[in-house]
Parts: sequence; C-alpha cells; structure tokens
Amino acid sequence: MLADKLRQNPWFKVLKPAHFQKLVEIATEVTWSEGQTIFREGDQHDYLYLIVEGRVALEKYVPNQGQITILTLGENDLFGWSGVMPVIGTRTTGARAVQPTVAIGFDSRRLREISEADHDLGYFIFRRLTNVIAGRLSATRLQLLNMYSQSTE
Amino acid sequence: MTVLMQQTTTALNGQADAMVPETAVITRIQYEAPDIATYTLSFTDDHIREQYQFLPGQFNMLYLPGIGEVAISISSDPGQPGTLLHTIREAGNVTGALAKLKKGATIGVRGPYGSAWPVESAEGKDLIIVGGGIGLAPLRPAIYHVIRHREKYGKVTILSGAREPGDLLYPDEYDAWREHGIEVIVTVDRADKNWRGNVGVVPMMFYKMRPDGRKTVIFTCGPEIMMRFVVYEALARRIPKERIFVSLERNMKCAVGFCGHCQYGPFFLCKEGPVLSYDRVEPFFSVEEF
Amino acid sequence: MTNSIPMPGKHIVIAKDALQTLFSTLQAANYTLVGPTVREEAIVYEEIGQMDDLPVGWTDEQGPGTYRLEEAGDGRYFNYVVGPHSWKKFLYPPKLTLFSAQQNGDGVEFTANKESPQYAFIGVRGCELAAIAIQDRIFLEGQVTDPHYKKRRERAFILAVNCTQPGETCFCVSMQTGPKVKNGFDLSLTELDESFLLEIGSELGGEMLADCDWRPAGSYELNQSRQLMLDAEMRMGRSLDTADLPEILLDNLDHPRWDEVAERCLSCMNCTLVCPTCFCSDVQDVSDLTGGKTERVRVWDSCFNPDFSHVHGGNLRPNIRARYRQWLTHKLASWEAQFGTLGCVGCGRCITWCPVGIDLTEEAAAIRGGQS
Ligand SMILES: Cc1cc2nc3c(=O)[nH]c(=O)nc-3n(C[C@H](O)[C@H](O)[C@H](O)COP(=O)(O)OP(=O)(O)OC[C@H]3O[C@@H](n4cnc5c(N)ncnc54)[C@H](O)[C@@H]3O)c2cc1C
Ligand code: SF4
Ligand code: SF4
Repeated sequence: MLADKLRQNPWFKVLKPAHFQKLVEIATEVTWSEGQTIFREGDQHDYLYLIVEGRVALEKYVPNQGQITILTLGENDLFGWSGVMPVIGTRTTGARAVQPTVAIGFDSRRLREISEADHDLGYFIFRRLTNVIAGRLSATRLQLLNMYSQSTE
Repeated sequence: MTVLMQQTTTALNGQADAMVPETAVITRIQYEAPDIATYTLSFTDDHIREQYQFLPGQFNMLYLPGIGEVAISISSDPGQPGTLLHTIREAGNVTGALAKLKKGATIGVRGPYGSAWPVESAEGKDLIIVGGGIGLAPLRPAIYHVIRHREKYGKVTILSGAREPGDLLYPDEYDAWREHGIEVIVTVDRADKNWRGNVGVVPMMFYKMRPDGRKTVIFTCGPEIMMRFVVYEALARRIPKERIFVSLERNMKCAVGFCGHCQYGPFFLCKEGPVLSYDRVEPFFSVEEF
Repeated sequence: MTNSIPMPGKHIVIAKDALQTLFSTLQAANYTLVGPTVREEAIVYEEIGQMDDLPVGWTDEQGPGTYRLEEAGDGRYFNYVVGPHSWKKFLYPPKLTLFSAQQNGDGVEFTANKESPQYAFIGVRGCELAAIAIQDRIFLEGQVTDPHYKKRRERAFILAVNCTQPGETCFCVSMQTGPKVKNGFDLSLTELDESFLLEIGSELGGEMLADCDWRPAGSYELNQSRQLMLDAEMRMGRSLDTADLPEILLDNLDHPRWDEVAERCLSCMNCTLVCPTCFCSDVQDVSDLTGGKTERVRVWDSCFNPDFSHVHGGNLRPNIRARYRQWLTHKLASWEAQFGTLGCVGCGRCITWCPVGIDLTEEAAAIRGGQS
C-alpha cells in the first residue's frame, strides 16, 4: 500500500527495485489534520517528508509579526531536507499542515546510513535533495528581491 | 513550428494630431488593493465612444492637464469596448494625482497603442497566462477574450501572483474564471497564518503544472525579473521561444514612436511592443541597464 | 544674361550678388529666410535678412572637442564647415507647444497648435539634406505622422550648397551623404571664384529665380565644380567603416570599450543636441498661474539625460556606460532596423562639440577591432 503510493511518484519510478526496496523499508506514512504543527524551527531532525496530498506551509517566526509563511508545498514536493544534511541537523523552518495532508516520512538518520552504505543510492538521494535545495535557493533569492516593489506593469 | 503573428492596430483618434487627447469622464472607481484602483472611463464624444476599439494587451495614454501623461494598459473586455477600464497603481506624480480624482472628473485619453497578445494565433493551443502584481491588468482583456471563445483553446491556466494576499488583483473573479474551465493558480510571496493558499514566487508554480511544450503558449506580464524567471521555467519545459510572450515596460512620452524613450534595441515598445515574443527580445533580455 | 524661368535639372550661373535677388523673391513669397550667420564666435543658423548676414569671409577650424572661427578674408559666402546648429531646430523645434488644455467647469477642452511657419533654408549641405531625409522617415513615413513637422517640412524651400570645405571631423563620404548634394532640394549652389553655379532641383526653385539674371552653365563652370567636389572628397578628416556595423555593435553590448568611453563621457548631452538626426523628446506641462490653462510643450530630450529612462522606482540606465552605449548603438545599429538607414550622416558635429572630444568613428572602430 505504501509501496504503491511511492511507486506512483514520478520520481521513484526510475529507481532500481533493490534501491526502491531499501527506501520502502525506512518509510512510514503520516497524516496531519488541518492546522497541525509538523515541526518547529530549531527542532532536532527526524524525518524527511514527501507530500502525497494536501498542503504544508513552511514558517518562520518573526518578532512582532508572528509566524510568517515563506513557502507552501503540495503534492510530490519534499520538505524537511535540513535533517538529512549532517551540518545542519536542526529544522531551519517550522512546518504546518494548512490542509489535511498525507505524506511519506523517511527516517533522516537511516537515509544517511543507506546512502553511506550504497553510494549509488546515496547519489540518487542527494542529487534529488540538491535539486530541491537549488530550486528553493533560487526562489528565495527572487523573494528577497521583493520584485513587486520594483517597476511593474 | 508555426510562428505566431502579432496583431497591431493604429490609434483610433478623432484628432489629426496624434498627441492631442480626447476627453473622457471617470464614471466609476473601484478599489482593488491599498494603492490600486480600477477606473471606468467614458469618452465625452458619442462618436468616439461608439467607434473606439482595442485589442487585448494594448494601452492608452491618460493625461491630467498640468500634471502629465502616463501609459496605462486597458484592463477590460475587448468584446465590450464601450466599457473602458484601467487598473492603476499609485506610483508617482501622475498616478498619484489620478488617485485623488473623484467620479465625474474629466481627463485626457488617447490610444489605443501598441501590440496585442496574439490571442488568435494561440487558438488550438494550451495557454498559460502569468501575471505578477499589476501585471495581471494588461492580461485581463486576453482572459476575457479566451473565456468568450473558450472552445477554441486547449488547457488554460492562469497564474496570478502578488507580494501579499491583499495585493492580489481581481481575486473576486477567479471563481468565475474557474467556471469556464480555467485553472487558476494563486500565489503570494509572503503571508500570515490566515492565508490558506500558496506561498512562493510565481515561477515556482511551474512545478505544479505539467505543460506540454509542443502545444503551449505563454503570455506573461509583471516585474521584469519575474518574467525572466518565468521564461527560464518555460524554456526548461521545452516551450519554444516564439511562443513565449512578454510585455515590457519603459518610460513613454508619446506612444507613437517619436519621443525615443521606450526604445529597446531595435524596438519601440510603444509600437512593436509592449507585447513581444521572447525570441525577439532574447538578445537584450539579460543585458544590464539596457 | 537672361531672366526667364530655368527648368528643373538645368545648371545655370549667376553673379554672386544676384543671390540677393533670390532672397528678395523668397521674402516676397512670404518665406522667412534662415541661414548661416556669425553669432557668438560660431557660425549658426538663424533668421537672416540679406546676403550680408551670411558669414562672408569667415571660416572655421574644427577638431575633436574644438571649434574656432577664423577670418579667411576671401570674400566667400559658404566657405565654412557645418556649425553647432542644424535645420532640425526649424523643422523640429527645440520647444514647441503641441496643444493647450483649457479647464471649463467640470470639463476640459484641448486645442491643437496649428501654427505653420514657412521657411527658406539657405545653405543646406549634403549631409544635412540626408539628415532631413532621415527625420522625414521618423516623422512622416511611419504609421503616425507628426503634423508640426509635416507642415514645416512641406512648406520649406531648400537652397542646398555643395560642400567645398569639409572639416577635420567630417566623414560624409563614408556615409555617402556628401560632399555633393544629390536630391531633395529646390536649388543647389556651388560657390565658384567669381560666380555661383546653380542646379535647379524643382519647378519652385526655378520660379524663384524669375527675377535673377542668369545664363546656362558652360563647361568651364561645370568642370570647376566637379574638381571642387573631387578635392572635397579627398579632404575628409575622418572615416567610418559601416560594413556589418549594426551586427558588430549589437553583438558587443558588453565590450570593455563601453567602460572606457564611460570614463571620459560627461553625459552632457551636447552630442545629441547638435546631431541633426537625433529626435528624442520629452513633453512637459506649462500652466499659467491663474489656473485653468495648460500648454503641453514638447522639448528636445537626450538619452544622456539620466531621467530619460525613468520608470517609477528608478532610472533604467543609471550609469553613463549604458547611456553612451544606448546612443551609439542607436545611431549606428538599431536605427537601421527601425528606419532602414543608419542614424548618422557623417557631419562630425558630435565630435567637434563633445567637450572631451569623444569621437564616434573611433569608438565604433575600437569595437570592430577588438570584438569580444
Ligand atoms: C505599456 C505600458 C503599460 C502600462 N500599464 C500600466 C497599468 O495598466 N497600470 C499601472 O498602474 N501602470 C501601468 N504602467 C506603468 C505606468 O505608466 C507608470 O506607473 C506611470 O507612468 C508612473 O507615472 P507617475 O507620473 O505616477 O510616476 P513618476 O515616477 O512620477 O514618473 C514621472 C514620469 O515618468 C514616466 N514613467 C514613470 N514610470 C514609468 C513606467 N513604469 N512606464 C512608463 N513611463 C513611466 C511617466 O511619463 C511619468 O509621468 C504601464 C507602463 C507602460 C509603459
Ligand atoms: S552622430 Fe555625429 S556625425 Fe553622425 S550625424 Fe549625428 S552629429 Fe553628425
Ligand atoms: S559623448 Fe561627449 S558630447 Fe556626448 S554626452 Fe558624452 S561628453 Fe557629452
């Protein structure tokens, strides 16, 4: 059942069966209700999540402004990558479900372990994460520019 | 690959002198966002009011005697040229003075000017319309056109972005657009807890779509940086340059190709633009201070 | 000598002082004469009354960033190089009311400016005729015509002059605009030692000579004029290689040369103001203080003006590098796509009147030479 859900993700389709199996072994399905906090900024890491359905907001607490949503994520998006990166280790944002949400969680520590043990699989996992981080970085830069205050039509 | 032809019209203008405006009365003011309002204009002259026509994407020059003149896109339905709308953001001198005007005030209007969104040559294709901030205003006439001829288009997606939820343009119309089988994706750059929609810059929303590069046409208008990233996302999805249309903005004084201000390389954005296909602007799009 | 009406295409000879008769005929036909005259140590184009107002016996020395009026004392009328003015100041005035707006009650009324002066231009060089032809393309041959330019242009009488005195900054031969005038004139004149050789360019040109004594030109005058033209061609102070120039410039928008020229350029706008083809303008509102009436006034503008590229939130070309690049790539590249011709006629004014002597022929050559 969980394996089926994983297999539907365009991303896992390309995996070799053995690799796929290793990922299934460390995966668990999670659901959150609307408004439920998934983790807080600064929490110790535990899981990397892949959203199956629903919507999750990544938030940062800004003094005097409260929780500000900096990004929302939906179907097939990954979040919680900071937990997999050894140098970071803590959550860089908070996460909250804005809709009832179903996701698949991968144990961060074990993800690192299987990557170490099998570099082919590790390459696959880290390439995927790098892509996600690169996309977020590029989007964040654009957000930083505050482009709507520039000239627009 | 078919090259989409762009339509242009010459200015419809009663006066032999293109620089002399016609008069029009503000008949309605509708507030859209803290610094944005939509003005309904009605030409004083009956004949002009009846004859006036425009294409989606074109703009008018609005003149306030003693203050100045600005280029403002037409944001209403080209199928109902009698109701002429302009959505204007308060940005400086003239737009600031406009914001102080009341219903019933008379201003000068001349136009329409410039090139149009190629709505006709986009028929039979999927269409992605991407508007950032006030950039949705010049796209709305194209949206109305598409709705009027919905059966002629494939999948239609509208992507509307703004800085904050309160800055989104025309939010009350999104449901009506959806009723015509149009997917409307809305996103903001930042929001507080009460916002349940998307947060993330406009180009990121491309990850929520699976456009078919072989038959997709893009119309985009918004901050130049946003358009640049929209173009990159579109190209990454194999949408050909000839089918990506951007609307560019430069200082404009005359709108008829005399004043030189709106030049963009070989183009006068008031004549060949503001709407241009990406293959034509590519050589200059990333040149600094061009 | 006869005095009948010479036909277009004909070459005739008049005594030098007969030019005054032509001036009087033009004035009687309601033309305002404008032509070269000495004013504030330069030869400029202004309203003139008679032959004596021309710069008789004056000439000039020009170079990059320098202009010096000199007394030649040769009694010649047209023995100078073009000065800081050009005919665009009459066809496309530096300041022109486009229309006025009158407030009445809740409404407002717009009234177009319909004035249309009638000028006779005395002493238009080949490069200047070419410049007028270029401005014709801009103001008359597009989708929209400028009515003010149109009226002035259609009514203008043109007495052209074959240039026998090219200067240090001239390169009309490269641009194929001179030194001999080709067409687009009512009369053209070559100044010989003892007389003026005239070519009739239009019926109107012939008619204006009705009161002059003239005789058909002989081979002596025609040969002398041909020789003068050949000599002039050999004396160009500058040259510009225009082969593939638009592509070369537009392919080199990030060439280091733009940084170098930006170090020198003061963004003073002189070059655009003296250039006979530059056409950019701004529009301003001038209101009377009692309120109610506003004049909408068009004034010359320049791409070197920092505000030229203003959009709310800032100027798109804040640095001189971008402004100089805009100017040069417009003149020598984009212009061709826009109007089917380059925007330079080789008159050299921008070189002479640049306070720091920036030379566009040198800049273009540098980019051609060191393509990145
Ligand atoms: C083709 C086109 C369509 C446009 N459509 C819209 C629209 O639908 N809604 C809207 O709110 N705005 C639109 N704009 C932008 C609008 O023209 C400027 O916001 C407006 O000119 C600012 O003028 P201002 O006097 O208030 O600002 P100031 O900063 O005081 O500007 C002074 C003058 O500079 C010029 N100028 C300044 N900014 C611009 C600019 N961005 N573009 C052109 N000239 C400028 C104008 O002549 C203006 O009067 C459009 C611009 C263009 C070129
Ligand atoms: S660019 Fe310089 S040389 Fe060329 S026409 Fe203009 S002023 Fe004359
Ligand atoms: S090139 Fe010379 S004349 Fe032109 S703006 Fe620069 S300094 Fe002034």
